[in-house]
Amino acid sequence: MPTITNTAAVTVTIVTLNHYLALSGVVFAIGMIGVLLRRNAIVMLMGIELMLNAVNLAMVAFAHYRQDASGNILAFFVMTVAAAEAGVGLALAVNIFKRFKEVNIKYFEHLKG
Amino acid sequence: MDLTTILFLVLAFLIITFSAAVVILPNPIYAALSLAVTMISLGFMYFLLQAYFIAGVQLIVYAGAVMVLFVMVLMLFDLRKEIAAFSGSKFSSLLKILCGLFFTGAIIIAIRQGVIALSVSAGEPTPAEQIEMVKNLALRLFTQYVLAFEALGVLLLVVAVGVVAVARSRGGTHAHHN
Repeated sequence: MPTITNTAAVTVTIVTLNHYLALSGVVFAIGMIGVLLRRNAIVMLMGIELMLNAVNLAMVAFAHYRQDASGNILAFFVMTVAAAEAGVGLALAVNIFKRFKEVNIKYFEHLKG
Repeated sequence: MDLTTILFLVLAFLIITFSAAVVILPNPIYAALSLAVTMISLGFMYFLLQAYFIAGVQLIVYAGAVMVLFVMVLMLFDLRKEIAAFSGSKFSSLLKILCGLFFTGAIIIAIRQGVIALSVSAGEPTPAEQIEMVKNLALRLFTQYVLAFEALGVLLLVVAVGVVAVARSRGGTHAHHN
């Protein structure tokens, strides 16, 4: 963390945009690993939600540090699309479970027709 | 260290720990609860970033609606006998984790290389200024971004119909599935 010394000679740590972006990158990577590693379709959806949230954090951080509300609006849109995506994904998971009694991702190829 | 830094560090720790728990815990219910904690921590981080409206929406939509949806679907299923939570061999798992770590490293190096020198105006906004910020957000949402907003409404309608079409049971809710 970059440290600056103020007039009272006390070391002050400042949270910069870079910290938020690094945190966002870490959370995105964790979500990506989750999607790659897990076979439960619902947990994979959770990984996708993590990735979307990481991007949201980056956009809100940019909006704050640039004093520009566009990032907040974009984050709002992403949240709405993520909620819709979760709904569709869970409906597909319910459909898979009704046929195969398991929500393993390998059954998705049998869903056609 | 001032309060903002301490809050940032605590929230970052919570977010990273519980998002890792989402990936690691084999039981999907525990994964869902960890995801809820992650969402709530992210909501507090939006408060820290002075995005009050987004923080509220995060708590209501994510920590509320989406998580209830996840937990409800998980409770609907009987997932006790699921043992193989992770896919593939040890080697491919290692490869995937290495890919993730490489990706994180690449992002962080790119952030460190980039010259993003942005300063933020000093001080916490007063309540009047906070209301002004939300008002500004709403004004831009309904002027500059009104087309995207309407498209989002259409998307939600399509999704609502599509979800019912995909998840419905033939013969109503009391049909017996063999």
